[in-house]
This record gives sequence, C-alpha cells and structure tokens, in this order.
Amino acid sequence: MMSQIQSNIPQRQSLQGNQACALGAIAAGCRLFAGYPITPSSEIAERMSKELPRVDGVFVQMEDEIASMAAVLGASMGGVKSMTATSGPGFSLKQEHIGYGIQAEVPCVVINVMRGGPSTGMPTRPAQGDVMQSRWGTHGDHPAIVLTPSSVQEIYTQTITAFNFSEIYRIPVVVLYDEAIGHLVDTVDLPNPESIKINNRKWADGPAEDYEPYAPDADGIPPMPLPGDGYRTHTTGLTHLESGFPTQVPEEVTRVTSRLLNKIELHRDAIEQYELSCCDDADILVVAFGITARASERAVNNARAGGIKAGLLRLVTLWPFPERILQQLVERASHVLVPEMNAGQLILEVERLCPDSTPVSGVNKFDGDPIHPDEILAKIEELADE
Amino acid sequence: MNKKQKSNTGGYEIRLSGTGGQGLGLSGKMLAAALSDEGLHVAQSQSYEPTSRGGMSRSDLVVTPQTADYPLATGLDYLVILDTRAMSISDGMINTDAVVLVDEELVPEPPKGDFKVHALPLSKKAISLGNLRVTNVVSLGALIALGDICSLRTLEAAIERITPKKYAQMNLDAVRAGFELAAH
Repeated sequence: MMSQIQSNIPQRQSLQGNQACALGAIAAGCRLFAGYPITPSSEIAERMSKELPRVDGVFVQMEDEIASMAAVLGASMGGVKSMTATSGPGFSLKQEHIGYGIQAEVPCVVINVMRGGPSTGMPTRPAQGDVMQSRWGTHGDHPAIVLTPSSVQEIYTQTITAFNFSEIYRIPVVVLYDEAIGHLVDTVDLPNPESIKINNRKWADGPAEDYEPYAPDADGIPPMPLPGDGYRTHTTGLTHLESGFPTQVPEEVTRVTSRLLNKIELHRDAIEQYELSCCDDADILVVAFGITARASERAVNNARAGGIKAGLLRLVTLWPFPERILQQLVERASHVLVPEMNAGQLILEVERLCPDSTPVSGVNKFDGDPIHPDEILAKIEELADE
Repeated sequence: MNKKQKSNTGGYEIRLSGTGGQGLGLSGKMLAAALSDEGLHVAQSQSYEPTSRGGMSRSDLVVTPQTADYPLATGLDYLVILDTRAMSISDGMINTDAVVLVDEELVPEPPKGDFKVHALPLSKKAISLGNLRVTNVVSLGALIALGDICSLRTLEAAIERITPKKYAQMNLDAVRAGFELAAH
C-alpha cells in the first residue's frame, strides 16, 4: 500500500519542514493523528488531515492537547501507529500522558516544533528552549528518546526513524525541531519508497493462557497484545508487574522500573545518531543540533578556511545523549563550544560529560532570532586566540 | 568577521520584504518554484508577526547549486522593500553591488550604501492594473528584469502553475508589467 501512496509524490520537490514531517509519518505507517493546532506546528496537522483519509487513516482534531495525547495512546494500544504534533505550551500539556505512554510502554510519536517561551512566548519565532523538557518534562525516573533533525530532508527521515524506534522499543519518541527548520521550504529528494526501512512492533504470539503483558523478551522489550487476539492484559500508569497489575513491593518495583530504564540503555548503540564534520584533528569542538548545527557547520568551515582546527559534532539523537562519541572527541579537543537558542541547557549535559580539564563555553541566544554563523565563528576565533 | 561573507556553497540570496498581507510569502513561493525549475536548490524561509495583517513580513530565498550549508539569509544580493516597516531588518545584511528594489511611494527613503537602489512605481502600476494586491507580483517581474535571476518565461510558467485559475491572468499581467517597468 505504501508504494502506491508514495508513487503520487515526486521525489524531488520543494517541501516545507512541517509538510515533510507529515509525509514521513505517512511513509512510516502512521494511520492516526490526533492534535490541536498550534503555531509553528499547525501545517503538520493540516497536511495529515489531507493525507490520512487517502490511506484509510483517521485524523481527529481533539478539544485540546491533553485529549490529543490520550487519543494517540489509545489508538496505538489498539494497534495503529499514531502521532500528535504541537509546540511549547501544548508540549507542556501533553507531559502527563507522555509519562503514561512511557510507563505503559505505548509506541507513538510526539512532534514538538519549538518556539520562544516560556508560556505562550513567541509563537512565530524559533527557539531551542525545550532541550531539558523533552528529557525531563514528565515526572519520575524514565527513559526518553528525542530526535533532532536539522533539515527539511532530515525531518522526513527522522520522523520515520521516530516511528521505528517507538515500535522497536515501545516508547513515545519525541521529534524536536525549531520553527526555523519547521517553516523552511527547501528542495528535497525524498527517498525511493522501496528503500525506506520500516519497523513494526512485536506482537504477542505465544500461548494465551500463560501470557504476561509486561514479561520482556531477552532484548528487554515485551511483545504487545493485539486487541482481539485473545490475550488477557491489563494496562495502567501505576508501577506494574509483568502481569500488568500494580505493585509497591520494593524489590518488585526495583526490578520492573530498572527494566524500563535499561531497555533504552541496552540499545544505546542503535539509538544514538550523530554526524561528525572536521572532527579528526579538531582542537575546538562545536556541539550543536537543529538550525544551530547548520549555522555551526558554516562557522566551522569558515574557521578551517582561516586556519583554525574546529570540528562539529551534530547531534541527531539528543536523548539519550551520545555520550561515548563526545568523550572520545574531547580526549583531543582543548575547548568545547555549545551554541544553542536558549539560556544554556544542552551545555549542562556536555559539561557533565567533559573532564574538568576541558573548558566548555556557550553561545546563547533567546531573542527569537536564530544564531548567526558569524556569532559562532567569532567565539571560535576568540577561543583559538586563548 | 565581515557580515557580508558569502555562503560556502556559492549561491546568492534574495529577500522580499514589506508588511503582512502584501503576499510576500506567495511571491517568494513563485520565485522559488521558478528557480527550482531551473535546477537550483532553493531554501525559502519566512518571518512574520503573529497578526496576519500589518507588522514586518519577509520571505527569504537562499539559492545554491547544491543543498545550502546554512539555509537562512546572511548576506543579501537582491532585496525588495515594499514597506518602511521592513527597512531595519536588512541593516548590515546588504552585499556590495546588491540590487535593491523599493516602491517609490511606500518607501520614500530607501537604504543607502554601496549597492544599486532602484525606486519604481510598483504599487502604482498594480493599481493601474486594477488591483493593489498584485504589487508583490509586479515587483517580482521588475526584480528579474533588474537582476540576473531567471528568465521571464520561467517565472511566468511557475506563476501560472501556482496561481488558482481565476487569478492566473491577473498575475501574469502583473509580472509582465513589472518586467517592462524595470526594463525601460
């Protein structure tokens, strides 16, 4: 069915970031979107409302963001790949249900197109202020997968990856990008539909009588019961045993919550994505994501042209943070620079991972304008002079 | 660092600016479509205020042979200004020898610098065609007559493709009128 849908879409086209997100979701097999429109994410909902009926999918505009997230979880528990899209204020509202999705291990995708905050902030201006919220927005100890595309093309591919990760690891996956990329219209080459890798969740297929809905396989991930397949199941946001029923027995809680956290830790290597540019001999290492990584790329190239050994670690997976590669790179780099469109969030994680002997500096901006490549270059030049 | 430094990918940058409601997003889309048809990569970005009318509005095109390293405008080679509210946003961003096109009535005091300013009666021409709202398309025609961006034929084809049928002729008349206005 997928190739039939995709064949109508030319591979080379001018596409907006948010539209690319919608097309990526359809290609990944998303068949339900529930949302509440909010700038600068609304084009995702708009495009989904057009695309989903064409593939026998369902588009629901819900009464608010909270209900949207609930509908997405419900649809996924019913066996349908589902997604919602929002921005800052809406992302805040969704947090409780995102936590439910993590606890009950419900695959789904949440798109957050970042705008200036806090609160309703600056609806039409880009920001990267949700770095920590995307990791710790919901309460309690929990794992998280957050992907941060930096181009229109990558929004398409990472939306597909988000669905794949959510299906494989049974977790809500957040795709986090800024307004600048979301509203950018760029010339893209969509991949051949045949070449797109799609992962689907594991369904329970053993004997029904001994079935335990949260008993994991060796990979740490329990197969899901498809409603109607005859498996007795119980789903709750309460801390629950393999049976699905609640527990507050300390050793049981330790076991099941550790499994929840470890299922992502175990698969870090498969989840961590990043791109290195000029890093082999880099003295000054820039760590960035989203539109700021694009500005950093130019700054690094211009620094190189001026004889400064700068390099870029572009994060595609923001959480779990690609720790090992950063630690390898700072064995050589004498300075680390973290430009970000916020008052300093990503830098906290970078500082945590760097040895005390490696100074970490930021370039921070939260005025609604993207960071200019020259602002990053100026800081690189300043560090090179030290 | 010189703010006017070119992109590393050897392209050029166009800004269409004015106020909300002037159709700058649409004219940016028309020009982007024409340039894409010529095989170029075009990254188009917009900035606008939360209100749908009034306030600053701009549409930027970063045009490159391959995907741009940085897709947002940093040094303008072509600039259209249709309202004084959009004047300050391009301060320090206009490249040497850039083509700057302003509406002679709506922008009575155009920017000054080492670039070429063309003040033309764009809105007046639109009114003479029967609709002030085609000022954006008139200015597109004038811009391509002044700069080496794309052919009138390519732009006309893109406009025809993008415009709803009932407005197609009006836009085609507007782009040609703008082209002739600047070519004379």
